[in-house]
Amino acid sequence: MRAELRLAWLLTRGSDRREWWRVALTAVGAALATGIGVTIVALTSLDGYYSVSVGSGLLDSTSDRRNVSIALGLLLIPVLGFVGQCARIGAVHRDRRLAALRLAGAAPWQVRRIAALESGLACLAGSMPATVTAVPVLLHAWSHPSPGAWAGFALMAVAVPVLGAAASALSLRRVVASPLGRVRRAGRAWAPGRLFRTVTWLLAATALFIVVAPVFSDRFTFDFGPVTVFVLALLISFTAVWLTGSSSRQLGEGLAARTRRPDVLIAAERLRDDPWAAARTHAGVLLVTVAGSGFMGVRQILLAELHARSREGSLAADLSYYTTGLDLAAAAILFGLALVLTALAVGTAESLATRRRGLAAQVAAGVPQAVLARALLLETALPLAPAAAVAGVGGFAIGTWYASLTSDVTVAPVPYVPLLVPLLVYAACLLAAACSLPLLRRSVRPAELRYA
Amino acid sequence: MSNGDSTVPLLAARDLTKAHGRTEALRGASVELRAGEILAVTGPSGSGKSTLLHCLAGIVSPDAGSVTYDGQRLDELPEKRLSELRRTDFGVVFQFGQLIPELTALDNVALPLMLAGAPRKDAQAAAGEWLERFGVRGQEALRPGELSGGQAQRAALARALVTGPKVVFADEPTGALDSLATEQVMTSLVHTAREAGAAVLLITHDAQVAAYADREVRLSDGAVLPAGVTA
Repeated sequence: MRAELRLAWLLTRGSDRREWWRVALTAVGAALATGIGVTIVALTSLDGYYSVSVGSGLLDSTSDRRNVSIALGLLLIPVLGFVGQCARIGAVHRDRRLAALRLAGAAPWQVRRIAALESGLACLAGSMPATVTAVPVLLHAWSHPSPGAWAGFALMAVAVPVLGAAASALSLRRVVASPLGRVRRAGRAWAPGRLFRTVTWLLAATALFIVVAPVFSDRFTFDFGPVTVFVLALLISFTAVWLTGSSSRQLGEGLAARTRRPDVLIAAERLRDDPWAAARTHAGVLLVTVAGSGFMGVRQILLAELHARSREGSLAADLSYYTTGLDLAAAAILFGLALVLTALAVGTAESLATRRRGLAAQVAAGVPQAVLARALLLETALPLAPAAAVAGVGGFAIGTWYASLTSDVTVAPVPYVPLLVPLLVYAACLLAAACSLPLLRRSVRPAELRYA
Repeated sequence: MSNGDSTVPLLAARDLTKAHGRTEALRGASVELRAGEILAVTGPSGSGKSTLLHCLAGIVSPDAGSVTYDGQRLDELPEKRLSELRRTDFGVVFQFGQLIPELTALDNVALPLMLAGAPRKDAQAAAGEWLERFGVRGQEALRPGELSGGQAQRAALARALVTGPKVVFADEPTGALDSLATEQVMTSLVHTAREAGAAVLLITHDAQVAAYADREVRLSDGAVLPAGVTA
């Protein structure tokens, strides 16, 4: 292990600017994960009622703190997705390096261990500063943390790098770098496999059961509500991901056969060549679109009801208690959206870097850069449009249904605002993809053709 | 089992066939390499030279035929054992030296020893000696991108020889070098291999480079041509 650790350190230390981007962004993701983890530990280790000066009472009682902790825990999903996307930066270069290690005599397990340790070191660079910063802040608000809380803080500081290294080892478990510089993968490029189909069918069956069960039995109560929302949101997200891949192939084949525009042709050929690339990149965006649309529907109706009850004076707590909860949930979704958009920009830039020789060859052959730039944007825009529409409408339907169940307001406003969510997310995605265009100008220099 | 008899080949390929998709790279190629021998494999582009080297070094498995090294069937060994052989008994150099850009020249040469578990100081000391032998002394702290083509290739040769291998596989090691650097690299390779008693399998399409070898076999359309026949 010492030899591999030393090599991982030497490789990290000698990395170029692109590798440092990967290390820095991975560290940022690890820092976010650690920060969220430490906060969850602090909230869950408190017992009983406290009067907390922040959060409009949302952190006062044990049950409220538990709910906030669950919400923070859900926020870890986009954070981990972001870290996973960052791990793809420089993947081609890293694969070549792993192959060179194999050529020098490294066994496959040594290569996997070195790559895992590199990821672990990058995560450690984020988790340590996050812990060192978070602990004094928490101590400022909380004078006597319990020994269990201290143990939890220490666990979080260590667990994030260990999990990062484990995830890296897991993702490389079926990858064997050949000494020839190619990377042999056990399967073909990712397309929905048996697991994806099984999970989708399970979600569909669960949703069907939840919908049909009350018809045959009166044991179905509203307790199923949050579970139903979760199942339906996941089902719609999975369907939207599947739609992205399958529509990419259809769009690619259809447009490639009919178009007379070179930018559309280049984008269509790319979609036809790897139809599931867009699904991989947009999965997080679609999940956030479903969550965002659904939440906006719930928020609009609940706010109407809260204001109505506030006027009647029938609220159990201060109005700000409820609105702060809704605002914090909105902030969490926006935070998630920001993370997946960053991941999308990173993914697009990485895709460009990977294909730079092919793109440089096209420029050398006379293809204008503007055509390539439009093709790049079309690669994002074409497959995302139908999927974002499905995700947005699905989320809108879930939100409206859930709000109508929970709300007592007789004349609820029709929540049209959520329908804007997919449009805004779509525009933001195009903007994120456009952020990689400056890299295009640098990547397509004919000089790129000189390098192997 | 070790090979002390110079008449018995250290490395032997029999009737190798290998296809890349529909393209047959090797069609029944047979070749032998004796201990301490320098063998040049020449032939036109696409004749299967590199594929033959990859099969002989255990980097790829042939579709049919056998590769025997020191009495062991390489094509039947597990990947773990092949990696061990590449670390201890084989040294490999390609046209572009395959040095790792993140490591200094010294650490690149020390890499096989570190992978084998040697302490870094010992590995670096040995690597320094090999860099000196190849005339790259004083450049230890430079990264591959800061070395000239000839220096990088000599550092790659030092890395291939640092573990004291019995066979060095060199695939067009001077293909990207000018004539002066070619001469320096080949002189260093031949001199050091002879000194270390290592056999060299040299893939080249350059007759001047092939002239450094003890023996030459010519490959055409994936098969070895009989002596005296030209492609």
